[in-house]
Amino acid sequence: MRLRDDGTPDPETAYDVPPGAPVHECGICGAPFPAREDRELHRALVHGREAGDGVAGGDEGEEADTLEAAREREETALRRFRLKALGAVVALYFVLLMVYALV
Amino acid sequence: MTGRRHPARDSQVGSSGPFLPSLAGTFLTWVAVTVLTTLAVSPALAHGGSIGAAGRSSLRLPTWLVLLTGGAAVGASFLLSSFVTDRGLIRAIDGWRRGLPLPNRAATILGRVVGLAVLAAVLVVGFVGPQSSANLAVLLVWVGWWAGFTMLSYLVGNAWPVLNPWRTLAALLPTSGRSVPRSLGTWPAVAGLLALVWLEVVSPLAAAPAQLATVVVGYSLVTLAGAAVVGPADWFRFVDPVAGVFRNYGRVAPIGRDEDGGLELRLPATALTRPGSISGPGDVAFVVALLWATTYDGLVTTPAWTDAIEALAGVGVPTAVVYPLALLAGFALFLAGFHLAAMASRRVAGTYLARETLLELVAPSLLAIAAGYHFAHYLGYFLTYAPAIVAVAAAPLAARATIPTLALPDWFQFVGMAAVLVGHLLAIWVAHARAFAAVPDRMDAIRSQAPFVAVMVGYTMTSLWIVAQPEVPVPT
Repeated sequence: MRLRDDGTPDPETAYDVPPGAPVHECGICGAPFPAREDRELHRALVHGREAGDGVAGGDEGEEADTLEAAREREETALRRFRLKALGAVVALYFVLLMVYALV
Repeated sequence: MTGRRHPARDSQVGSSGPFLPSLAGTFLTWVAVTVLTTLAVSPALAHGGSIGAAGRSSLRLPTWLVLLTGGAAVGASFLLSSFVTDRGLIRAIDGWRRGLPLPNRAATILGRVVGLAVLAAVLVVGFVGPQSSANLAVLLVWVGWWAGFTMLSYLVGNAWPVLNPWRTLAALLPTSGRSVPRSLGTWPAVAGLLALVWLEVVSPLAAAPAQLATVVVGYSLVTLAGAAVVGPADWFRFVDPVAGVFRNYGRVAPIGRDEDGGLELRLPATALTRPGSISGPGDVAFVVALLWATTYDGLVTTPAWTDAIEALAGVGVPTAVVYPLALLAGFALFLAGFHLAAMASRRVAGTYLARETLLELVAPSLLAIAAGYHFAHYLGYFLTYAPAIVAVAAAPLAARATIPTLALPDWFQFVGMAAVLVGHLLAIWVAHARAFAAVPDRMDAIRSQAPFVAVMVGYTMTSLWIVAQPEVPVPT
């Protein structure tokens, strides 16, 4: 069982960190992440932590800033991807349209 | 295929007709062709009765265009699903459920009696009834059970644990107290499923009721002996492939067990988004085997397969060896494809989730696709022969030249097309929801699905190629 009842990965079994890779561990469950932003998003998603909540031993101000930055990074990437996806669907449609017209 | 031959075949999807010049017409045509081509992709343990006179290739489009369109449709569905990024909305949809009362004791006993009566009927009529495909045993097994009951499992709920006559009988046997080693997981069921598929392909089970009944006797002996050794609970969870098929299809259904053992009503396929539905590499392999079985079943009826068999026989490779080897090799190829996709998924999403975790995340969605294909193929077959079950059951031992069948209207093929489309949409939804629950960054969650979508596009196109081939008898 690598996934828990709420669909989140079990930190004990679900992860496999490549040797030598950078690790940012969640201070609550120990799940490993490649970047601080991922870790803060994980804490917001899985542990319900919001900006300013703080965790034992962590720097609250820095964590809040990181979460803000992570959300911004996520939103920007999603917006860009949606545009590309829309473009791809339209392109796919018209390519097939022309192919069908020719065949 | 030699197995499961039936007097007539199920409705075959034909061409979508002349193409309209307008934009809307072209789009509709694209949708229709897409659905229609994906439709014929071999369903779970496929073509039970879709055997007979006509071949499958009634498409008037060039094969490459059919493959291109089918692949494009799967890819486009993934792109469109990526527009739903609100986790609250996803959770609200998947979490909707209502409690239902459990069936009372009398209903359970009635179900068990029905299961035992059907098993007895299959055995008796199979051995002493008329030896043609108009035999009640053949109709009960392929039409009533494999087509009808399977549809019931994913459309309503899995009643097999109650009806399963072997479970009822096994409960009466003493048990040895041993259990299936947990390290084996569901792998014994994977082996059993592949064995059943092999048996179904190489033996003429639908034309020869006595042979069918013999296979049922063999299955009964193995099942009861196994259940006596490791106990019914372990046997039907880890070893019995039939129970595994219905349990997995039951997860697509709107009615099923909730976490506390009660009954619940939920939206179709949303139970697949819950993590417990697939747990461990054995469960993943079972789902992959179910999907591969559909492809294999179609592959052996293509001219290319016949050519390959003849070429191999020419250099002295016995045909009897090629069938099981190809079955195992193809399964290994499918499994390897999903493992490679999981490794790629780790890279493109930049996640530390293990390969096995990603496989468990994505595997349940394949069940919705399998159910969609099964429905598209078997609904027509089931409705066509359902009257025959009633008629033959009235006098099961009488020989008859013809059996009553239901003629289906032309528009009926669109029901199947819609089923395939719905299966694909549900699968994409399930994969999407599971990735969003497990990967913190939503963009990474979308990226993590991309390699699996690539594999699915390849799978769809391979299956479409098989479907586009003329269907020929299975070489022996």
